[in-house]
Amino acid sequence: MTGVGDVSRATAADLVLLVPELILVGMALAFILVARRIQRTPLAHIALGGTILAALAAALAATWVVPLESAGDGATGFGGMITMDGYARFFEVLIAASLALAALLSVRSLDGERIPRAEYHALLLLASTGMMLAVSSLDLLTLYLGVELMTLCSIVLVGIRIERPAANEAAIKYFLIASFASALLLFGISLTYGVTGATDIAAIASALRGTESNPLLLVAMGLLAAGLAFKIAAVPFHAWAPDAYQGASAPVAAFLAAGSKAAGLAALGRVCLVAFGSEARTLKVILAVLAALSIIVGSIIAISQTDMKRLLAYSSIAHAGYALLGLIAGTPEGASATMTYACFYVFMTLGAFGVVIALGERGESLDGFRGLAAQRPGTAAVMLLFLLALTGIPPTAGFVAKFGVILSVVRADHVALAVLAVICSVVSAFVYMRIAVFMYMKEPEAPAPSRFPVTVSAALAVTALVTLVGGILPSSLVPWAVSP
Amino acid sequence: MSEYIGIAVTFVLAGGIAAAMVILGSTLGRKNPTSAKLAPFECGKEPFSLPMGRLAIKFYLTAILFILFDVELVFLYPWAVVYRDLGFPGLAEMGVFLGVLMVGFVYAWDNGALDWK
Repeated sequence: MTGVGDVSRATAADLVLLVPELILVGMALAFILVARRIQRTPLAHIALGGTILAALAAALAATWVVPLESAGDGATGFGGMITMDGYARFFEVLIAASLALAALLSVRSLDGERIPRAEYHALLLLASTGMMLAVSSLDLLTLYLGVELMTLCSIVLVGIRIERPAANEAAIKYFLIASFASALLLFGISLTYGVTGATDIAAIASALRGTESNPLLLVAMGLLAAGLAFKIAAVPFHAWAPDAYQGASAPVAAFLAAGSKAAGLAALGRVCLVAFGSEARTLKVILAVLAALSIIVGSIIAISQTDMKRLLAYSSIAHAGYALLGLIAGTPEGASATMTYACFYVFMTLGAFGVVIALGERGESLDGFRGLAAQRPGTAAVMLLFLLALTGIPPTAGFVAKFGVILSVVRADHVALAVLAVICSVVSAFVYMRIAVFMYMKEPEAPAPSRFPVTVSAALAVTALVTLVGGILPSSLVPWAVSP
Repeated sequence: MSEYIGIAVTFVLAGGIAAAMVILGSTLGRKNPTSAKLAPFECGKEPFSLPMGRLAIKFYLTAILFILFDVELVFLYPWAVVYRDLGFPGLAEMGVFLGVLMVGFVYAWDNGALDWK
């Protein structure tokens, strides 16, 4: 055998870059091993504790671990496939946070239904691993691998309530559309390889610099953007989201809306800004169409929804559009605005889903919010905070986030898009404020909700705090949100 | 091109023999049709049926377990070929890989996937 000697082998310096992922995988494997032993015993709560511990450890690792062969922050490993730059660190911490919050919010749904606990938490952990891999990969193939791991685990999570036909239907729909999206993504990757001869993101960028525009490249970019747009549920690739969110249990829907959207945005950001940085002119058009359609369709269709999970699904579609606005400019400031948007959006959407989860069956429909303020003033106030944030009203983090992306669009001279975004914000205000009206100005119809589990209250407190502090200290995230 | 002539000859021969059998049979043969003879022949299987037959779910489980070991083999063969060059790190890496796969197997075993009932 010749040539084996120079096969690049994983060294300690490489593995250090994957410490957050390794922590999550280790915990997931432990859960899978003992799954049957801890089912339906008091030990079952270990799964929750273990997941949160792993998420915290992964977040710490993503913040503190310094690559060994110190090229500093931009160190890469595994033959230039994995990195731990500021961009990856930012999203890894965000994903760990959404994992921990989703685990906290899952307690009631796990108690109420016959869901195998250890498997549920293992799937959450593995999905988060996939997300982290996707945000830290510098090669389209590892990126695809991460996105796929995330999607496969999410599909099982959506259908994990096997006794409910709605959950099965949602999982099948999600599976079919996700496989289609994967095919598009792979086809895009293969065409990109055909044009540039590389799957490495930096190599693609250098191959494209100075070359003439190629029609095949346009198709490749379109397919890549479409494949990743499926993951963030941007219109016209959004159709799966409302059904999947409605069929899934509320915590799973929250996790999908928060974590997988953040990971998809991160992957899209790296591909658009680094790999196709020299093709910004064409890419701008694709992204602008995706963003404009998402904002319009998400805001308008949300008006007619009466199921809270569907309503939040359309809201998340609109927010995917707003987050995309930052990528259109193609500048580091724009990317930083998108990162800020993704971060604050994760917390406010997890918060809104958290209130829905806290109210149980009652929270699933819009009518359940009638007269909530009279029965549970504190809960209603927290929900109002999240609704204000989702609308984008100061002094919440939602305003800071929306201001950042709209500013980046204006600076890139796309005033029409900015105007559209503001108008649709007003439309979406109607959606969110209707819930507030139901809470504060209607008579209660249902009996007051029972006490929330302490874990749900804790998750609500964290999300509310971030939503509030992010609004009061608007530049708190700026040092962290570094573009790829 | 000349190396493809053999393939072309095979195609012509195969097509010719098949066509000759059908044509000779339909022109020279005696016709004595019954309903069974007129039905399309498919090796004892019902040629047309709706896909609503029932299939035990345990076959799917077996198929998935098969994939577990199949994937393992896909990686074991090339690894075995270069085993000497990879040395101890290669052994350790394969150990980790097999360990992760075995976790899945232990899970399946633990949950009764191997009980054929």
